[in-house]
Amino acid sequence: MLELAIGIILGCCALGAGCAMIAGIGPGIGEGDAVGKACEAIGRQPECKGSVTSTMIMGCAIAETTGIYALVIAILLIFVAPNTLVGVLLKAIGQ
Amino acid sequence: MFRRVDPTVLKETCYIAGFVLVFSAVMQLIFALLGSWSFSVLWGNLLGGTGAVLNFFLMGLTIQQALGQSEEDAKTKMKLSQKLRMLLLVIVCAIGAAAPCFDLVAVLVPQLFPRIAVMLRPVLDKLIGRKAE
Repeated sequence: MLELAIGIILGCCALGAGCAMIAGIGPGIGEGDAVGKACEAIGRQPECKGSVTSTMIMGCAIAETTGIYALVIAILLIFVAPNTLVGVLLKAIGQ
Repeated sequence: MFRRVDPTVLKETCYIAGFVLVFSAVMQLIFALLGSWSFSVLWGNLLGGTGAVLNFFLMGLTIQQALGQSEEDAKTKMKLSQKLRMLLLVIVCAIGAAAPCFDLVAVLVPQLFPRIAVMLRPVLDKLIGRKAE
């Protein structure tokens, strides 16, 4: 029974990490769209390339953060949560 | 490749690297004040900070290259770059978590420093603008 409980904890942590990493898809799409539009803008007004590049870099850095949050949560779920939760379980059943 | 780095990309990367350095020093100080400082925190901070700055630099480099291409090519290039950079960060974080010589918190926290630096940018620009006036 204990093995089953530990298995469920490990499985749920892995599933949670996988679900969290779905958020890693969004920034790629967003950054791609933004850079595509920036290309269009530079094609129309080549003289503003410097300011567009600067704004794009900062914008993409912000868009990227969502993916990094997801990555941090996924890493914590894989490497930290199982030990903690198994510890809590063992404490609860008095082992 | 590195000889053709746009000055804007270099400037922004230096700005982010400076902030990561400052925030890392603050984080080390907090660890020391809490009494949990060890060399693993320092190594973890170095690994995480390097990963964060490298990620930002590669993003700038990709943007620089993508801006000279057609809209569709730029989109595809940016999406591919984002996936590869995310993979790089996964590897950095996994090394930080698996190797005992790195503290996991010290590896993960610096990944968020570039965002804080970008958030503080308008405030800093305002302060510099006021001083210049």
